Amino acid sequence: MAIAFHANIYIRGTSPIHRWAVRAKVLSLLVLIFAIALVQHLVLIPWVLAAVLLLYSCSQLPLAYLLRRLPYPGLFIIAMVGLLPWVSGETILWQWQGLSLRLEGLQSAFLVMGRFLAIVTTSFILLGTTPFLDLIQALRSWGLPPLLADMTLLTYRYLYDIASQLGTMQQAMQLRGFGLHQKRLRRQWVRRQWEWLVSLFGSLLLRSYEQSQRVYHAMRLRGYGQLTPPIHPQRSTLSPLAQQSEHLITQVATSLTLTMATGLVIAEWILTYP
Amino acid sequence: MHIPDGILPTQVCIAGYGIAGGITWGTLRQIRKTPDPQAQVPKASLLAAAFFVGSSISIPIPPASVHLVLNGLLGTLLGWYAWPAVLIGLLLQAILLGHGGLTTLGVNAVMMGGSALIAAQIFQLRYRFPALLHRKWFLGTLGFLAGAIGFGLAALIFFGLIIFTIPANLDRVTEQGTLAALMIAHIPLLFLEGGFTALVVLFLYRIKPELLES
Repeated sequence: MAIAFHANIYIRGTSPIHRWAVRAKVLSLLVLIFAIALVQHLVLIPWVLAAVLLLYSCSQLPLAYLLRRLPYPGLFIIAMVGLLPWVSGETILWQWQGLSLRLEGLQSAFLVMGRFLAIVTTSFILLGTTPFLDLIQALRSWGLPPLLADMTLLTYRYLYDIASQLGTMQQAMQLRGFGLHQKRLRRQWVRRQWEWLVSLFGSLLLRSYEQSQRVYHAMRLRGYGQLTPPIHPQRSTLSPLAQQSEHLITQVATSLTLTMATGLVIAEWILTYP
Repeated sequence: MHIPDGILPTQVCIAGYGIAGGITWGTLRQIRKTPDPQAQVPKASLLAAAFFVGSSISIPIPPASVHLVLNGLLGTLLGWYAWPAVLIGLLLQAILLGHGGLTTLGVNAVMMGGSALIAAQIFQLRYRFPALLHRKWFLGTLGFLAGAIGFGLAALIFFGLIIFTIPANLDRVTEQGTLAALMIAHIPLLFLEGGFTALVVLFLYRIKPELLES
């Protein structure tokens, strides 16, 4: 199951990006992500990628982290834009039998893939250097409704638990003969597999539902729904010197990232309306 | 069936966030009108997690197999809670797997969550016909319609967005041909989603009918 390979999204560290204040970091990187999405000229893509790679190196996240996480979303983007160079455009670069490689389609594919790579890498920088709970807390401080915050935390909390339950159920099914191919009884085989899969998914929903009732009762006993606690900013445990250094890092990193984003928007504007 | 980062222009992404914000506001208003909204939070959260995980199950269609979207089934079971469940599911998919994206979160939510809400309304039609409420064929038919229409609407929005916003010099004939081919290719999946939803609805009706009474 794909999710099992992506359990550790946050990597501990002491890089400047790790020490960047969460709210400023989320806001700045999101502005940068949207500025990258705005790029429509292929000539800007190498600059965008260079800037993002510079940020990645500042985050001191291992290259293996990026390489491990890129293939899964990368396959989808290749599947989506892989056809463009063959069907879009008029300038033919190469031809063989009925296939024609077209310049305009190739440029469009590179543009989309470049933007994708830059945006996804920026997202990985944000998620790899910020604990998930800090992200939710930042969103809460910006007015995320408590119901959405509670649901996000509960879903995240029980995701791996339910994934593990599904793994156990699938293993039990296989031990009882699910997946054995009977060539002569193909129609019955498919029908039986469907019955098993409906039972599997239905049982997973039932187990989750029953578990949710237990979780709800436990939460009620601990006071859930009685009072909504106000959100207080966390009191820092750092020394005054360390606090000053974090403040400086936040100011520098925020200014640089916002300058990058503004630069991209201006460059895009100049190229569009010369 | 998620639109990844980098495909859509920023204007479309921002419009997606705007529409998603409006739907979130409307949905939360509906949820707050229920007698005890917080009582449903653990149920909606854990079922959202189950859908997230369960969508990885491969369904065999010889000689291949497919993964179902299940947004119609999510709507039938969670009602108004289907919207926050989809929103959170998509956020977690973008964060944990890199599937979908942060810029396209709003667009993807409208595509999947909007159609889940419509599927929910279709399944709620059963209360308009009290005489048929406990007939299995009736529940199965509504389940099928909810699953098929939920998936069909999401597919329509998906292909519409991809074909009309991709920055390419596709000529009109190629564009229409591609659109038609993609639509035709998804018709069997429409029946598959509908069929699977109907079967799961009947399974739950047999084992735990209270799960369908949202």
